[in-house]
Amino acid sequence: MSEMKIISKGNLADFLKALNGDREVIVSSIENGTLIMGNMGSVKMETGFNGRPLIPPKEYFFPQREKIFTFNAKDPKKVDIVAHTNDAKRVIWGLRPCDLYGIKTLDEIYMSNYVDTYYKARRDNTVLMGLNCNEPCDTCFCDSTKTGPFASEAFDVMFTDLGDKYLVNIGSDKGKKAIEKGSKLFGAATDADKAKAADLEKKSKGAFKRSVRSAEAKKKLPGSWDDKLWSEESLPCILCGGCNFVCPTCHCFNIEDINEGDGVSTRVRYWDSCQLGGFTQMAAENTREHQSERLRQRIFHKCVYTPDKYNGVPGCTGCGRCIEVCPADIDITHILGRVTSK
Amino acid sequence: MTNSINEIGEAEVILAIGSNTTEQHPLVSHQIIKAVKKGTKLIVADPRKTQVAKLAGLYMSLKPGSDVALLNGMMNYIISEGLYDKQFVETRTEGFEELKKAVSDCTPQKASEITGIPVGDIISAAKTYAGSKKSSIIYCMGVTQHVTGVDNVMSCANLAMLTGNVGKPSTGVNPLRGQSNVQGACDMGGLPNVFTGYQAVNNDELRQKFEKVWGVTLSPKPGFTATQMIECAADGRLKAMYIMGENPMVSDPDSNHTEHALKKLEFLVVQDIFLTETAKLAHVVLPGVSPAEKDGTFSNTERRVQRIRKAIDPIGNSRPDWQIICELSRQMGYKMDYASPEEIMKEIAKLTPSYGGITYSRLENGGLAWPCPTTEHPGTPYLHKDKFARGLGKFMPITYKQPAELPDGEYPFMLTTGRTGFHYHTGTMTRRVPILDREVPGSYVEISKSDATKLGIRNGAMTKVSSRRGQIVVKAKVVDTIQEGLVFIPFHFAEAAANRLTAANLDPVAKIPEYKVCAVKLERN
Repeated sequence: MSEMKIISKGNLADFLKALNGDREVIVSSIENGTLIMGNMGSVKMETGFNGRPLIPPKEYFFPQREKIFTFNAKDPKKVDIVAHTNDAKRVIWGLRPCDLYGIKTLDEIYMSNYVDTYYKARRDNTVLMGLNCNEPCDTCFCDSTKTGPFASEAFDVMFTDLGDKYLVNIGSDKGKKAIEKGSKLFGAATDADKAKAADLEKKSKGAFKRSVRSAEAKKKLPGSWDDKLWSEESLPCILCGGCNFVCPTCHCFNIEDINEGDGVSTRVRYWDSCQLGGFTQMAAENTREHQSERLRQRIFHKCVYTPDKYNGVPGCTGCGRCIEVCPADIDITHILGRVTSK
Repeated sequence: MTNSINEIGEAEVILAIGSNTTEQHPLVSHQIIKAVKKGTKLIVADPRKTQVAKLAGLYMSLKPGSDVALLNGMMNYIISEGLYDKQFVETRTEGFEELKKAVSDCTPQKASEITGIPVGDIISAAKTYAGSKKSSIIYCMGVTQHVTGVDNVMSCANLAMLTGNVGKPSTGVNPLRGQSNVQGACDMGGLPNVFTGYQAVNNDELRQKFEKVWGVTLSPKPGFTATQMIECAADGRLKAMYIMGENPMVSDPDSNHTEHALKKLEFLVVQDIFLTETAKLAHVVLPGVSPAEKDGTFSNTERRVQRIRKAIDPIGNSRPDWQIICELSRQMGYKMDYASPEEIMKEIAKLTPSYGGITYSRLENGGLAWPCPTTEHPGTPYLHKDKFARGLGKFMPITYKQPAELPDGEYPFMLTTGRTGFHYHTGTMTRRVPILDREVPGSYVEISKSDATKLGIRNGAMTKVSSRRGQIVVKAKVVDTIQEGLVFIPFHFAEAAANRLTAANLDPVAKIPEYKVCAVKLERN
C-alpha cells in the first residue's frame, strides 16, 4: 500500500486548478438532477456525490465518434492523407471504481497485444483520479464483480470522502507527480482517517441492493448456451443498443468514410452495438440472426470471453448502467441469477 | 392522450389497438413491459404479430380496417352480459340507448366473421377489459389511418366510457403521437379550422380576440387540410404552397398524383433541413435548423410542454423556423417583432386558455401538461376527471363500414403500410445515419410464407408490387407474423415508395388518408 495523504474538501479546487496549467480538468457536476462530467471551467463541480454519470468516462479515450484521418483524392495520382492525432492532456477527477476498472479492461484490450494508437495517445496523456463510493446506487453490483465500491488498483490517485476531507491514496508515478504540483495542500493521513475509510467501505459493502455470484456464473454460463432463458429474456429487446453505449467496457466500433465533397473524405469510427442485426450481417447470412443469440453474446462477452482472453480483467464492472437505461427492463443480474440457480 | 405515459405502467389491463408500440414508441412500451412483468394483462389487436403482440397475453389478429366491428363486438358482449359500469353511464354520459342499439347487431359471432378473430378471443378481451377499473386503451395509426379513422377513435372512446375507464389514473383513450412536436403543432393551430388551443376560427368572439391582439382582420372561413391542399393544387384552386418540415412527395398517399399536383403549383416554397424529394420540386428552399440548433418547446403525446435547448449554433445560412417566419412576415409588411421563443410563448399564454399558465421559468422543472390555465395551476396529467369538456360524455352510435378499396381478382392482396424502428418517417434524417442505414438499408415487402410459396417468391427476391396507382420493386421478406392475403411495406424509402401504391381515400371528417388498406398485386420481378 502506498503512502496515504489527506486534503480538505475546501482545498480540492485549488489542487485541481494547480494542475490546470497544462491539463484540461474534468470533474463531475449535477445538472437538472443528472450527474454529468465536464470541464471544470464550464460546470459547477461537485466535491461529494453518489452514483456515476450515465455515460461512462470511456468517451474521453474512445469517443462516440472519432475522426481517424482525412484524405484528399481530388488528384488520384497524389492522394493526401492527414491523420487526426490527439495529444490533449487531461486529468479526470471523481472517477468511480467501476469506471476505473472499466478503463483497466479497455487498456488490456487496446494497449496490450494490439496497440490502438488513438486510444493510447489519450490514455497516456490522462491522469485518473478516482472517488470511492460511500453508497452504492440502485442498479449497481460492483461488490459482486470485485470492482468496488472501493478501488484497490487501476487509479493514479484515489480519493475517499471522509466528510470535510478526503483520504488520498497514490497509485502510480503519474499520480505522485500530480500530487507534487499541489503538495502544500496535502497533509499526512492518521490511523483514525484510515480507520474511518475502512469503516465507510464496510458500510458501503453492506448497502448493495443487487448481487450476483460472478465466479459461479462464469463457470455455469457455457452450460446455459441452449437454454430457453436467452429467448425469454431477449423477447422485449427493442434493439436500441443502449446497453452497449453506456457500458464502461464495450469497445466495438464501426468505420465509415464520410464524403465531405470536393474530393475530400474523412474516415471516422463510431461506437457500434452487438445487439443490432447489422453488426454480424454477412453477405448472405447473419451469424447471430436472433436477438436471443445477440443477448447471449453480450453476456458471454462480458462474463466469459473478456476475462478469459485478457488476463482475467472483468468484462462487467457491476456499474448497472445497462439495467438503468434498458427500455425493455433487461437485467444482467436477473439473467446471471437464472444461470447460477440452475 | 387523455392520460399520461407513466400511468400506463400502473394499469391492470392494457388494450393496444393498431400500435406497434415497441418499435414506434419505445418509452411508452417501456411502461407496458414494466406493467406486464408486474402482472398487467396486455391485449393487442393488430393485423401483424408485432413485438408488442408477442408480449401480449391475448393477441388478436384482426383484418385491417375491421376495428369498429371488434370494438362493437366487445361492447355488445359487455352490454348483454351487464358488465358495463352502470353508475358511470348514468351519471357521466348520454346516448347510451343509441349506442346499445348501434352495437346490438354486432354480436361477438358477427364481429368474428368481420374481423377474423375467434369468438372466444373477442369475449375474453371484453371480459378482461371490462373487468378492471384500471383499463387503458392505447391506439395509434393502425386505428386512425382509415376512411373510418374517426369512427374507430370514437368506438375506442365508447368502450372506455361504457366501462367507466376514463377520467381516472391509468385508464383512458390514449393516442400515441408519432412526432416529437406533432401535438404542439396541433395545439398551436397548425390545423385549418382553429387558432391556438383549438379555438375555432368561425367563433366571432374568439376570432376578435386574436384580431385585437394582432391588429389585423382574420378570415372566419376554415381553410383546407393538408390532404385537401394536394387535391386543390391538382385542380388549380391552390396556386402556391409553403411546406415546412414535411416531405409529402414520400409521405402523402398516391405519390404520382402528389407529384403531379405539386408540379402544377405556380409557386412552391419548402423549408427543411435537407434537400428532400419535395424540396427538389420547390421554387425556393429555405434552410431550417435541426432540434439541436434551436430553442423552444415541444409538446409531446401526453400534452406535456417541454423545453428544448440549443446545443449548437445554426450551421451555414440556416435559421430557426420562427426567425424565418418573422422575417417573411416583415418582408410582407407585417412587423412580427419577437426577440426570442420565450417572447412568443408569452403571447401563446396570453391568447390560449389551455396554455395560460405555461411560462419558460415554470418549464425549468420538467414540463407541464395542459390544460394549465393559470400560473398557479399544476397542469393536468389526466383529462375528464369529474366531468367531460362538453359536460356529459356522449356515446356515438357507430356501425362497421368496410375500407374504401378491397382486394379483387386483379389486385388480390391487401397492402398495409407503416414504419420500422430504425427509420423516422421519410428517412430525411435517419437514412443519413450510417448505423441506421446498415440496419434497414432499403424497402421490403413482408409476405406470409404460404402466399410467398404460392407466388414462387423466396425470401430476399426482388418483387414487383403494383396497385391501380403505381408500382414499385422491392425485396420480399417472408415472415410468419402477417396474415395470409396481407402484405406490409414501410413507407420510408423514396426510391421504392410505398405511397406510389396507396390511395388518397380520405376519412370524411378528419381527411386522413387510408394508408392502412389498399389493393395490390405481387409478381416475381
